[in-house]
Amino acid sequence: MIGIGFSIFSRATVDIPITLQTKQTIFKAGDNIVLRFTTNEQAVRLYCHSSYGVSILDANKDGKDVIFTIPDHFTSKKGVLNYKLVHTTKVVFEGVITIVANSETTTQLETYIGPPDITAGGKNHTMMVVIPTDSYDNPVEDSTSIKMKHQFLDTEKETIQFSKDFIGWERIFSFERSGRILASNEVNGTASKEFAIEVFSANAVDFEINYQRKHGYADGNQITTFTTSVIKDMYENIISDGTLVTFFVRNAKGMILKTNGTTVNGIAKGKLLHPDHMDQWEVKAYITGIAESTTLSLIYEQSTADFDVNFQNKNRRIRVGPLQSFMGQRMPDGAVITCLIYREGKYLETKTKTSSNGFVDFIVDEGFYPAGSYNFKIEGLGIHKEFKDVVL
Amino acid sequence: MISEKYVIEIDKQTTNKYLISALCIGIAFHGTSIFFTLESTYDALIHLFFADHYANSWFEPWNYKWYTGFTVMGYPPLVHQSIALFSYIGGLKFGLFTVAIIAVILFITGVYRFALLITSNRTVAGYAAILAVFSSSFLETLHIFGQLPSILGISVLMHALPDIYLWIKTGRYRYLLTAYSLLAVTVTSHHVTPIFGMVFFIFPLIGMVIMDAAREKVTTIKEVTFSVFFKTFLKLFWRIVGFGIGSLFLIITCILPYWINTKNNPITQVPIPHGSRDNYLEVTSSGLVFFLIPWGILLCILPYIYYRYYSKRYLFFGLSITILTILGTGGTTPIPIKILGENAFNILTLDRFTLWASIMSLPIFGEFVFRFVEGDLKQCIQDRYGSAYHKILGGCLISGFIFVSIFTMSLGYFRPSQPQKIKMLPIVNFLNQDQHDHWRFLPLGFGDQMAWLSTQTNAMTVDGNYHSARRLPELTTRAVERLENSKYRGVEGIGSLQQFLTVPEKYNLKYVFSNDKFYDPILYFCGWQRLRQLENGIMVWEKLNIPPLSTILPKDEVPLFQKLLWGTIPVLTVLIAFLINIQQIWQRTIRSKKLRTSEYLFFKNDYTRFRNKLLGFSHLWVALLILVFSIGMYSFYVKNTSQISPINVVKAYYDALDFKEYERAYSYIDPTSHKTKDQYMLEISVTDGLLSSYAKLDEIKISILTRTDSLAKVKVDTYWITPLERVDKTYFHEIVKYEGNWYIKPLGYDLDIPPDQFFSNVEPQFYNHGRRRITSEQTAHEDVLKQPVLEVLNAKLLMHDDNYAIIGELQNVDNVPADVVIKGTLYTDLNAPLATYNVKHQMNHKLMPKEVTSFRINFEGTAWDDSSLKAPNTFNPDEFTTIELEERPSLFNLQCSGNVATTDLYKGLSINDLEINDQDLSGVLFNTGLQEVTIPQLLISYYNQEKQLIWVDHHYIREGVKPQRKQFFKYKIKDLSGVEVVSDQMDFVFINGLPNADISEKVVPNRNIIHELSSLLPIEGKGVKYLKIETNSYVGNPN
Repeated sequence: MIGIGFSIFSRATVDIPITLQTKQTIFKAGDNIVLRFTTNEQAVRLYCHSSYGVSILDANKDGKDVIFTIPDHFTSKKGVLNYKLVHTTKVVFEGVITIVANSETTTQLETYIGPPDITAGGKNHTMMVVIPTDSYDNPVEDSTSIKMKHQFLDTEKETIQFSKDFIGWERIFSFERSGRILASNEVNGTASKEFAIEVFSANAVDFEINYQRKHGYADGNQITTFTTSVIKDMYENIISDGTLVTFFVRNAKGMILKTNGTTVNGIAKGKLLHPDHMDQWEVKAYITGIAESTTLSLIYEQSTADFDVNFQNKNRRIRVGPLQSFMGQRMPDGAVITCLIYREGKYLETKTKTSSNGFVDFIVDEGFYPAGSYNFKIEGLGIHKEFKDVVL
Repeated sequence: MISEKYVIEIDKQTTNKYLISALCIGIAFHGTSIFFTLESTYDALIHLFFADHYANSWFEPWNYKWYTGFTVMGYPPLVHQSIALFSYIGGLKFGLFTVAIIAVILFITGVYRFALLITSNRTVAGYAAILAVFSSSFLETLHIFGQLPSILGISVLMHALPDIYLWIKTGRYRYLLTAYSLLAVTVTSHHVTPIFGMVFFIFPLIGMVIMDAAREKVTTIKEVTFSVFFKTFLKLFWRIVGFGIGSLFLIITCILPYWINTKNNPITQVPIPHGSRDNYLEVTSSGLVFFLIPWGILLCILPYIYYRYYSKRYLFFGLSITILTILGTGGTTPIPIKILGENAFNILTLDRFTLWASIMSLPIFGEFVFRFVEGDLKQCIQDRYGSAYHKILGGCLISGFIFVSIFTMSLGYFRPSQPQKIKMLPIVNFLNQDQHDHWRFLPLGFGDQMAWLSTQTNAMTVDGNYHSARRLPELTTRAVERLENSKYRGVEGIGSLQQFLTVPEKYNLKYVFSNDKFYDPILYFCGWQRLRQLENGIMVWEKLNIPPLSTILPKDEVPLFQKLLWGTIPVLTVLIAFLINIQQIWQRTIRSKKLRTSEYLFFKNDYTRFRNKLLGFSHLWVALLILVFSIGMYSFYVKNTSQISPINVVKAYYDALDFKEYERAYSYIDPTSHKTKDQYMLEISVTDGLLSSYAKLDEIKISILTRTDSLAKVKVDTYWITPLERVDKTYFHEIVKYEGNWYIKPLGYDLDIPPDQFFSNVEPQFYNHGRRRITSEQTAHEDVLKQPVLEVLNAKLLMHDDNYAIIGELQNVDNVPADVVIKGTLYTDLNAPLATYNVKHQMNHKLMPKEVTSFRINFEGTAWDDSSLKAPNTFNPDEFTTIELEERPSLFNLQCSGNVATTDLYKGLSINDLEINDQDLSGVLFNTGLQEVTIPQLLISYYNQEKQLIWVDHHYIREGVKPQRKQFFKYKIKDLSGVEVVSDQMDFVFINGLPNADISEKVVPNRNIIHELSSLLPIEGKGVKYLKIETNSYVGNPN
């Protein structure tokens, strides 16, 4: 066998009597490779070429023989090593050595898993790719058996794959539950480290919403909180934290108000301030394009039935109030009241003020509003009042 | 007229005690004070940066650190190379201070030699040297501007003047050689000095030589007629020409690479405004810095200086100083622009002319002081007004002189031109860690200290501090000196900065160091995120999805001979000059040879009869100066007296608010309004937002609506520069008069009381470890998170108002929060790319899982790229430069990439109320969360009848929203009847490099489009039927 190899792969090209003593042409990576030639000509050098690169070696003499020790960086690399024995500028001998992966050394594993997160449901998968190598980083022979393992909750699976074109690979499909898959592999007794694949829940399915509020009055001050049920996907997994749920509110005027909530353990909360006038809200929440909630209907009752408007200081001070809330208590500070001023039917100015201690005062300065007849419109808390022909 | 006696008298070559004192005082004074001033000057740190370049790569002119690479051949190298050489001994700063001290010595001795040349009197020259030490223009140039090369250049030029004189006068080649050697040093230290020095110093000097030579031919100066002068000129012609040709040769060859570079890379930039070109009467601060300070006390004796320089011998100096004085007035008169031409006027900084004029005045100032202290002027004054008056006058003169000196030195202390000194070490460490220097960085709000940062790190920045070397069109087409201080350049500056922040991947710009919170909002809205605050208080901002710099960067190669010339000639000129001059000094010291008395010493002035008329005129002049000064002060007082009229008080009030001087602002509030100071301060302290925290008042227009004797109602239109856009806001104030002063009535404030005293919220928070193992190796494969999957729901290319834009909606369909970058490219029918741009601020860059955002890409060109178009004087907030497209685009490509985001995910803003009144949308925002939203932004999407998206607009709300509080907003609905859909073909939409269609099919296969459509707000707009409003919140101080 070696003899045939020799005759095929090696030949002398110039007529210098030369014999290759080393008969072995296939080596394992990492083996010590020494080429011994018998020749009269001592001034020869060896030109080596492999995928690693090119080198020219000087000869060591041993009696009548010349010896070349191939350097480690050639011998540890799997593949074909061409060599030429060169005398002056002429090639006097050529040969080929094949280096194969060293299966006697400890197998090293290079593993890639991607993507690192997938969604539950069994349709989505990730892929584990293993490149087993010898300790010189040469990929091992094809058809090396690779044990692929993964664990999810109570399930532990193990399959055997055979390496092909240097690699072995396996698809790992998600399960119906969300969680974390741990995966590893083993070749020739060498185990890989642990790899984690995050399994997120699948897309949410429709859910319910509810609300909490301190009272049902439109006082413009308290907060109504909308809460979703625990939002799950079709496999009963709670959806990922942080999923944005948008609550849309359609009020009596057809305007669309909105508030957001991000889920924690599947529950999202959205908040809105009570309206300051009687209103009816239709509320529906969405995970846009994916899931929607039931519809809620809320009614806010008028909290202030009426308020007084007094003209004082020769009508130059308009005192609105006391603004009373549903139990007759003073309205909390901040209720918005606007006063529109007209003179002889012509609009002049809008003054907007917020209440303090249940009252709002509008001052109509003499400097700006000369004596005459004015109309005033007072609006706020869903109440409109008009005062015509007020003489200043 | 001072008659000149032709006296031949050989001075005793004794050591000049005045000169020695001047040197001692000068070195002690400047040598001490530079340690406190030089580093905070405008230029010193830039020179230090250049020096650092030479210290590390002496012969390689290419510097990668600034402006994506530039050549240092744009500035004469001597000073930088000298600092670099000294840095080998004791570090860069040692080099800087050493060179500064050398410059001081050369300046004092230079003034001495120049004064001796002019006045032929060693005592007078000694006086001039002492005065030079404290000369305000010199103090300003060194301690405020830090212009070392300028100082060195003019000093060495003054050293060269005696030799030039002697060469032309005597024709001895030794003098020519010395003159050349010194001129060469001047050329290599500063390029402008020898060119203008030739005109303003050497030409008059030549005139003086000819005058002296002519004087020797006749018996009295009066006999020097034009014909005599001309004949002498012809006699000396060849010497003059010889010198001229030689000088020209030196100017060209000594810095030949500089000229080649200037020719190859001409300065085609938009001129950068400089205070020295202002009208000093309008911009009084410029007048102070560029006129009053450099002239200083010299202004008082200006008549004497002119009188002396217009005497026959100095006639040409007289002409020269006149032109210098006029040129130094900048834009105050139209003459400088006519003399220099518009081009040169806009490139040159005109303060240097005043500097030269004041230096030229020093010999005469020395002469004046000499005559005042111990000469005929003293006698004259004592005879006429008595000795007490002389003493008082002397006291005033000295006080004035010292006052101007102290004032100049302390200018940098009271009005700092630089931000406070920044500790660079944390930044340098940050850049060295974890391969952060593989990207470019951008400092904001660093002032000239950015140069010092650049010297200390290998990391590169897109910005730079030597604006003549700028190369990127984004910078050269705008009058923006640096991006770093763009807020001082108004909209042009902010516009330039926004371009860099929107498309940072073009420049591999990943980190921004912010020393000024003013820039924070624009960073946020352009999709940047806060990384952390360094221990020196600098906030680090980071942009995801930026590729690192390539290992090999492009550079402009120059031939080897240029590199060799540049690296050797400057130092050689110094060595040669030193050898030649040391020989002279050595000979003088050991008296080995009988020295020839310098020719110019034969032309003595007569200091015995001071003209009474001149004295009288000088008095008049000073009186006039005092009068003008007083009028100036008075008008300043009247203009700035705040409560004299309703307009003044409003102006003063807004000025106080702008500078955050709330105590002063309170003093303008109506005292009868029962608003206590505590209450006022409290109301101010609870307001936050774009206007109150990030705005600089740009313009204010006040109009009085109604006014009585004691009441007024004013409308105040304010315009504020904010990092995002120019904001206008109109206020109405009622003004009352009370005991002769006008006061503002306080505006109402929000009385609203939130319902919950104490409340809690549950929100998810996120953390990404990044590299889990502490190693400098490449990040482990399993530590790299998957890019979040996004989906473009719809996208189209539109044309609106002749602008192309890509709009659309995008959803984060992954389970983790995402930072989103969208890049759009326009193509022609034939698939030729036309333009590329990223989404700037018309989107929400940070998306929670399943969150949707609308987006719009505007295709911005480089503003005012076409030099024929002038930048507009006024700013339109919505204006941006439309890109010039060669063809009509018909297709578009969108590349969207997501990266896992963990910060800036605040979603607590809700829309609590809405009202539509014709085309006005008004509403109430309510903050439901726990963070204070500093700047709320609304994204408004417009839909047509078929509920198809047709436009996306944004609107910033000027006031912030605190937790559980409301904020009212108003928005004008746009007219979109002109929108034309160019393409809605979504074939080329990619997410993280994968086709969008595949993702759509796989991730949300059964998308329910009703969700989007049923939540639209119906309106009756022009070309618009539905609206969608999204909120985006910038949280200034996350807790």
